[in-house]
Amino acid sequence: MSDPPLYLDYAASTPVARPVAQRMAQCLTLEGAFGNPGSAGHVYGERARELVDGARAEVAAAVGAMARDIVFTSGATESNNLALFGVADYYRGSGRHIVTGRTEHKSVLDPCRELERRGWRVTYLAPESDGALDPERVAAAVTAETVLVSVMHVNNETGVIQDIAAMAALCARSGRARFHVDAAQSVGKCALDFNALEIDLMSLSAHKAYGPKGAGALAVSSRRGVQLSPLLHGGGQERSLRSGTVATHQAVGMGAAFTLASAGLEAEARRIAGLKERLWSALRALGGVHLNGAARSVPNILNVSFEGVEGESLLAAVSPQIAVSTGSACSSASADPSYVLRALGRDDRLAESSLRFSFGRFTREDEIEAAAAAVTRAVTRLRRIGGT
Amino acid sequence: MKYSERTRRYFDDPPTAGSLTGPDTVHGAAGSRAQGTWVQFDLRLAAPGTAGSGTSLEIAAARFSAFGCPHVIAVAAWLAEQAVGRRAEPALPESVQALRMRFEAPVEKLGRLLIVEDAWIAAMRAAAGASH
Repeated sequence: MSDPPLYLDYAASTPVARPVAQRMAQCLTLEGAFGNPGSAGHVYGERARELVDGARAEVAAAVGAMARDIVFTSGATESNNLALFGVADYYRGSGRHIVTGRTEHKSVLDPCRELERRGWRVTYLAPESDGALDPERVAAAVTAETVLVSVMHVNNETGVIQDIAAMAALCARSGRARFHVDAAQSVGKCALDFNALEIDLMSLSAHKAYGPKGAGALAVSSRRGVQLSPLLHGGGQERSLRSGTVATHQAVGMGAAFTLASAGLEAEARRIAGLKERLWSALRALGGVHLNGAARSVPNILNVSFEGVEGESLLAAVSPQIAVSTGSACSSASADPSYVLRALGRDDRLAESSLRFSFGRFTREDEIEAAAAAVTRAVTRLRRIGGT
Repeated sequence: MKYSERTRRYFDDPPTAGSLTGPDTVHGAAGSRAQGTWVQFDLRLAAPGTAGSGTSLEIAAARFSAFGCPHVIAVAAWLAEQAVGRRAEPALPESVQALRMRFEAPVEKLGRLLIVEDAWIAAMRAAAGASH
């Protein structure tokens, strides 16, 4: 049996770190903290509650928030939905306008479309060709009717880092619009300081940072007095913002993963940046390649378009050797070209013939060499078949 | 996407990829790279009085070039293989639908396979023109 392909799709998901899995396992069985963290009347519930509170503190510490800011959810998609629908509903009397970017994740764009259907107005800002959103243009889009600005910190396809510090300051100066940041891709890749940056709401994901799938959080700034309406109603858990029994093992896993990801962040970022540069240098030598997202970006994501090759064939040619995402098929169930790359000005062919390489804790130098060789072989072969 | 063993084989190592040049060769192409699928067949015709007879010549060698998905590449490779020894006539060795089944291509690939057929027909017509 042949070796499995090299995993270079860490931006899609990461394996759960062993210490994280061990801590999660301790919350599941009879001898562990299996109680309902909402059951205050006995030791089983109290033990689970303590673990959830500890996890809340760990998540908060990793992103510069206070523990009471953290609302556990099922993941960043739910967090984004809660932020958008929650703010829209709570502040509907103040205005019905939202500002966001064209390269946001679907879990922001689709709620925006739904809000438009319900009568809201949404401004979708186009990025520069390097992927960056100009903070001044964001500020200029805010009107007296704007109740929310939603911008992602790190783009999941290109790795471009938005200047959320400048945007947050400009939003705060407007005095009206709350500022929401989708930071699903940020933890463990670049530093975040929720409170120092004057961010009102921030979405977080566990499984992008060696935690479990199905776990996330929305940081809701209590210091800034942010209010929102819940999506789920029931037992009043999570400050009544997210009813439903908190999954102790998921919260504990997220907390442990975030603590691990924050430790040694700078050294790991340097190591990963070296891998990214190495791969980019090798691919650039092919000629006819384009870096997607030339603005400041996280070290773990490299997105490249290849001239003269068709997207599906490129992925089919490299997939036996490397597991990567493409600009056509993998961003969604459809084979439409990536809307993120289209927003950067790439035509359909270049958007489709892109590969997103994303590196992680277990990526080694020899794997980068092997990946570069596999892509070089595939592109050269397909260009030859294509007569170019 | 999962590919059949046949598709994978012809995509990974298409034996007939390449081009043919010379006075006894004809070419036929269809589609466009900008639209996502482009195919060209190059045919070398047997010299009249040797392998060929009647009004249509026999194909002595065939190659293809393709910009397209794995199914397009695999089907074009297979067709170029099948072309050798055949009379230069527009009909495919089997229908596009049968080719789709042979390579287990999903139905949404039918449009792309029709471009392969168009390229085949263009090449065969060029061959027919050369025989007169």
